[in-house]
Parts: sequence; C-alpha cells; structure tokens
Amino acid sequence: MNRQRFAEYALVLATLVEALVFAGVAPGFLSVANILNIAMSVAITGILAVGMTAVIVSGGIDLSVGSVVALTGVSAAIAAAHGVPAPLVLLVALGIGLATGAVSGALVAWARVPSFVATLAMLTAARGLAFIVSDGRSIGGLPSWFAVLGRSVVLGVPGPVILMAAVMLLGALVLTQTAFGRHIYAVGGNPVASWLAGIRVRRVTFAIYALNGVLAGLAGLTLASRLGAGVPNAGNQYELDVIAAVVVGGTSLTGGRGTIAGTLWGTLFIGVLTNGLNLANVDPYVQKIALGVVIVAAAVADQLSRRWGEAAA
Amino acid sequence: MPRRLALLLALAALAACKPKDASSDRATKTIGVSLLTREHDFYRQLEAGLRDEAAKKGYKLIVTTGDFDLAKQQSEIDNFLVQGVDAIVVCPTDTKGIAPAIEKANAANVPVFTADIAAQGGKVVSHIASDNVAGGRLAAEYMAKAIGGKGDVGIISQPELQSVIDRESGFREGIAKYPGIHIVAAINGAGVRDRALRAADDMFQAHPKLAAVFAINDETALGALSSAQTHRLNELVIVGYDAAPEALKAIVQGTQLKADVAQQPTEIGHRTIETIAAHFAGRQVPPVIAVPVRIVDADSARALAATPAH
Repeated sequence: MNRQRFAEYALVLATLVEALVFAGVAPGFLSVANILNIAMSVAITGILAVGMTAVIVSGGIDLSVGSVVALTGVSAAIAAAHGVPAPLVLLVALGIGLATGAVSGALVAWARVPSFVATLAMLTAARGLAFIVSDGRSIGGLPSWFAVLGRSVVLGVPGPVILMAAVMLLGALVLTQTAFGRHIYAVGGNPVASWLAGIRVRRVTFAIYALNGVLAGLAGLTLASRLGAGVPNAGNQYELDVIAAVVVGGTSLTGGRGTIAGTLWGTLFIGVLTNGLNLANVDPYVQKIALGVVIVAAAVADQLSRRWGEAAA
Repeated sequence: MPRRLALLLALAALAACKPKDASSDRATKTIGVSLLTREHDFYRQLEAGLRDEAAKKGYKLIVTTGDFDLAKQQSEIDNFLVQGVDAIVVCPTDTKGIAPAIEKANAANVPVFTADIAAQGGKVVSHIASDNVAGGRLAAEYMAKAIGGKGDVGIISQPELQSVIDRESGFREGIAKYPGIHIVAAINGAGVRDRALRAADDMFQAHPKLAAVFAINDETALGALSSAQTHRLNELVIVGYDAAPEALKAIVQGTQLKADVAQQPTEIGHRTIETIAAHFAGRQVPPVIAVPVRIVDADSARALAATPAH
C-alpha cells in the first residue's frame, strides 16, 4: 500500500513539474482560465476513466466506451429534437449506456467471452448503430436546455468539470467504502479465491460493465451537450485516451490494483501534456510520440514497483 | 486467409472463362465506384451526382465505399476487375497507397478515373475535383475583408489529407498578400467535431485576441463554433469549408461562423460520368478537371436555402 502511495505522490510531482515547464515555455499556460480549460478538456475522459478504472481493476478491459459515447449522444440528441422532456432524455442516454454495458457484461461474465473480444465487438456494433439511428448525420437544432449540462458555468467552474469531480468522488467512495468495491479488487486480484470466499464473481463482473456503460452514457450526453449536437463520429478512439489515463495513473492492467486518485492524476497529467504542447505550438505528430513515451514510462514504472514489492515481501 | 485467396482465385478463373467480348458488346456499360466513405454529406451528394448522370446515360453503377481503409478499397477494385466493369471511379483512401490497385486496373485495360482525391502512381485517365487551392484562397480573401486586413488568425487543420493540404496552402498563399495579418497557430483538429473543439479550446486559450479561424471542413468549423460560444468570443470570425446544411444554418443565424467555401459535390459526380462518357466515345479528355468552388456567406446562404436542394 505504501508503495502505491509513493507512486501516486511521484505522479503528482511529475504533473506539477510538467506544469512548471509549460508555464515557462507556453504563453498563457499558468492562468486560472487555462487551468479551467484543462479541466474542461479532460472532463469527458475523466468521467469515462472512473468506470474504466473499475473494469481494469477487475482484470478486464472495455474498448467500447468511445462508440457508446457516440451512440448515447446521438440517441439523446434525437430524443431531444423530437421534443422529449429533459429528464427522459437523461434516461435515454443512461439507459442505452446501461444496455450496451449489460450486453458486454453478460458476454464476459456468463458466456465467458474475453473482455477484449466482447467489448471490441461492442465497439464496432455501437458505432454502426450510432450511424444507423442518425442516418450518418449530426443531429442539431436542439432545444436550449440541451446545452445546460455541457455549457453551464457554476461559480466560475464549467458544468462538465463539476460532473467529473462528482463522478470521481462517487467512484472513489464505491471502490473503497463498499463491499461491492472491495469485491472488484478481490475479483481482479484472484477470481478463484474470491469465488471460494463466497463472492458472486459473475454478478460482480456483470455489474462493473453495466455501470461502466451508464457512465459512458453520461459522458455521451455531456459531450453532445457541449457540442450542441449528437455527432455519430464523435468519441472515436476515446477508449485509448481513457485507458492511457488509467494506466498512467498506476492501475495495473493485470487487475487487482488501482485507485481513483491515481486515475485523476493520470487524467490530469495527460491533459496538461496535450494542452501545454498545443499552447507551445508543438507539431501534432511529435505530440503523439510524447504521449506514447509517457504511457511506456508509466507501464515500466508499474513493473518496477511490482518487482520491488515482490522482493520486499 | 488461404481459403479466401483460393476463393478469389476460383472467382477470377470463372471470370476468365466468360467470353471475352462480354464487356465490350454489352448494351449497358458498367462502372465500378469506390468512394472514400458514406459518412460525410459531401460523399453522399457526390454519389447522388454520379447516380443521377449515370441514370441519364443508361450506365449501371456498382457503388462501394472504402471506409478510409486502403486494404478494403484495394479489394473492392479487385472485385470490380473480376466483375468485368468498363470503367472504375475511385476516391482514394490514400493518395500514394492506391497506386498498385490502379496499376492492376491498367494491366486489365480498364480505364480509371479519380474523383475528389487524386492518386499518385498508375495511369489515371482524368481527375475530377474541386479546386481546393482556389478554395483556400477564397477563404483567405473573405477573412481578410471581414477582419479589416489586420490581426492574428489561426488554422484548425487535418494535415493527413491531400485535399486539406491544398486548402491550407491556398489559404496561406491568400493571407500572405496581407502584411497586417499573421497566422499565429495551426493545430490538428483531426477533421471531426469533438477533436476540433478541443483544439479550438487550446488555441483560444493561447491566443485570446485571435481575430479569425480558418476551419478546413464543416465538422471542424462547428467544433470551433461550439468552443467560441463557450469562450464568449463574440467578435471572432470563423470561415469553414464544405457548406453542409448544419453549417449553412449556423451562418444564416448570425453566429461566429461567417462564411463557408462551398464545393459542388453533385457537380463533381455529374462531370465524372460525363468525362467517362466522353472517354467511352473515344474522345480525348483533359487529365485534370477542376470543378469551381465559391464562397457562401449569410446572404448567399439564405438564397441557397430558398432554392430546393439539388
């Protein structure tokens, strides 16, 4: 546990150093406006990263979140454009997210399809559905209330940032303070031992994917609200951004280890990196390489800390 | 994989067994079309133009889409050759990568035409596309007038595509004529709305006094518009590209999106089939046919909305 704490502090330190460097080279980096801008730019990734943390801690992966963001965003926009009232539109987005997550979860838990395969199938199917329901076009012309979630500002803080903070807080509470949360760690650490200890492994697994789908629906609605339209090709490759944030945040892809706090800092670290490089006008291709280096560095750090942990034990 | 290869070979053998004169003596000519995608409104209109003109000429069209996937597009062209089409229209997913497929068609004596996106390598009878460099220049001229000939401007680009590179170079060329205007930022928005939104967020952050933005397509322009609205940049001028219905609506409504460069995808479709017809008739056709572009602002957009869509 101490080592994990240490890794988290190292990441916080790295983020601060990174911020200091950019403050020196990029105009306008260190301002309240830009800090809010960074928080805003990572809000969608951050919401998705909470669910992804739980999935990865349980020893799985969910590749479908980007497509589900598009599908739920488009569906919500269609409902809103047809005069469906706001609370029902929220239900549409969360409900469709839940449905996609439940399908993936059932495939993983009961049909024993590897999560990589089940959610890869959902990635293409949900994307296809998004194009079918929208006829391949963006759905605009929405009522003004649709913009509330994505564009409102409360006490100077943008709505999506508040939403991300709330989801992260809730996620951290569920993972650390509830039996369900502890079961997720147990299942990811050792599913057989968990089953022998009386944990309903399949039910837990199913619930993780279903809840992750709900969060993807929330993210899809927020993104559509921010964009002012449901866009069928939105959210493309978000799963990669999200997995990168979770992995950089110290969650182990082999399961059993990871925290929401780590994920928050992983999300921020990547957000600061992208924003700073953009502000410093760094070539977009070089930015991609920089992100790759960061992901590899995080994975190596994870391996090293594990080896030290085993040596100490 | 070997099984699929065997199947393909078997099909090819079957096709070879067919009498050779099948294609030349057939009453109706068949044209194989491999689009870049059907996800963009632009390509839907281009397809409509192709179908429209082909119906008039009595040609049969086989339309497929490469979906931005070079391998898929190559196999589509292979299929066309097996099906014995009389001509192929391709909107390459990759300017250079498509060359081997075109060379294969050349070897089979099937004439190849490119629409919208050019190919490098292989023998293409004619390339029919918008004049994107001219489009970029038009955008620069409109922008310069709108901001009074001076100020800092930015570009949200997608430098992976030749047509976009042409737009950007035309734009830079046009802006170079105005010593008071400086291009201070160029960020990759990947051509899709959510990525362009993030790129615009960062651009407006780094350059809060930005006077104008050139967005290389309408998804990019609408992403930049969302960002400008949340940043309350009411004086900003955005110039987009493509004149898709949603963008035209934003222009008419008096948002920061002031104008669009309009391509004529339906016209590209028409001209492509006309060029193929001329080639079938044994006439010489020019290697490049540039379909004109024009600028659409609030006034012309209203006029456009008043006339029924073509």
